Amino acid sequence: MEILRFFWTIFYINLFTIGGGYVMLPLLQREVVDHYHWLSNKEFIESIAIGQITPGPLTIMNVFIGYKIFGLWGALGAVICSYLPSVILVTIASHYYLKFKNSWIVKASFKGIRPAVIGLLAAVAITLGRASILDVPTGLIAAGSFAILVFTKVEPTFIILGAGVTGALIY
Amino acid sequence: MAEVNVRIKDIFAVFLKIGAFAFGGVYSMLSFFERELVQKRKWLSHEEFAESVVMGQLTPGAPIVNTGIFIGYTLNKLRGALATVVGQVLPSFVLVLIISFLYIKYKEIALLKAVLKGVGAAVVGLIASVVYNMARKLLKEYRSIVIAIVAFLCLAVFRLNPIGLIVAAGVAGLLMFRGDQKNGNS
Repeated sequence: MEILRFFWTIFYINLFTIGGGYVMLPLLQREVVDHYHWLSNKEFIESIAIGQITPGPLTIMNVFIGYKIFGLWGALGAVICSYLPSVILVTIASHYYLKFKNSWIVKASFKGIRPAVIGLLAAVAITLGRASILDVPTGLIAAGSFAILVFTKVEPTFIILGAGVTGALIY
Repeated sequence: MAEVNVRIKDIFAVFLKIGAFAFGGVYSMLSFFERELVQKRKWLSHEEFAESVVMGQLTPGAPIVNTGIFIGYTLNKLRGALATVVGQVLPSFVLVLIISFLYIKYKEIALLKAVLKGVGAAVVGLIASVVYNMARKLLKEYRSIVIAIVAFLCLAVFRLNPIGLIVAAGVAGLLMFRGDQKNGNS
C-alpha cells in the first residue's frame, strides 16, 4: 500500500525531527524524491514555495505533496500525520512542565532561557532581513511594519495584507 | 493563568484567526501570538509566552504548532490543545488544497512571488517588534541582558545550533539564578 507508506513517512519525520520545517526539508526530500520517487526535485521545490506563501506552518506543504501524489485522501492523511505526533508529544511535555514549573530548578533554568529567546529572535530578524530586504521598497516595508506594530494598535493581519498588496504593486 | 479555564470556543476562534492571517512563516506567527494572546486578551504573560516559544522549539514537529499546543494545554488541557491545532491548521489546509488544485491545472505562480516579496520584508519588521516588546518587559537586570546578548551573538555571528543555545541558556540560568530561587524571590 503506497499511500500508507507515504503516511508513515510523514508521521515519523514529524515524530523525530526537532527544529521545524526547514530541518525536515532534507529528510523529506530524501524520502519523497530520492527514495520513493513520488516527486521530482522541481515539484519538491514548488511544494516548499506553496508552504511559504500560505499562512501557517511550513509543514502544511505536506498537504500539497499528498494531494499531488494521492489526491484528496493523500492530502487529508498528510495533515493528520503531520500534526498528530505533536499533539501526543507536546501534551505529555506540557503536562510535566506545568507540574514541575514551580520547582526552583525549572524556575532558574527558565530565567536564563527567556532572555536567550529574545537574543535568538533578534538574530533571526537579522538573518531574514539579509534575505528579504533587497532594495529601498523592501527596506521601507520592514521599517514601516516595525514602527506600526510598536507605536500603534494596528493588527499584524493588516500589515501582512498591506505588505502583500504593496509587493504585488511594486514588483 | 493556569487556573483560568478559557473556553474552547474562544481558543479555537483566536487560533483560527492566527492560522488564517499569519502569512510569512513561523516567525510572523509569533508576532500574532504575542499581539493576540499576550497584549489583547491577556491569557498569557510575556514570561509565559517566552516559555511557550521554547517548548515549541524543544519538541519534535512544527515549532509553531507545538507552541500553540502548549498554550492550548495550559489554557484548557487536552481539549484546549486540540482546539489550537485544528484552528491553526484548518485555514492553511483549505488554502493549500485550493492552490494545489489550481496549481496543477494552471502552473501560474509569478503574482504569488511578488506578493511573497512584500510579505517577506514585513515579517522582518514583525519579528523586530516582538523582540522590542519582549526586551522591554523581560530584560530588567544585567544578568538577563548578558544572556540575551550572548545568545544573539552565538546565533548571528557564530551560527551555533539554536536548540543547543536554549539548553546552554538553561544551564546558565541554573547557575546564575540559583541563589535567588532558593531565597524565595522569583
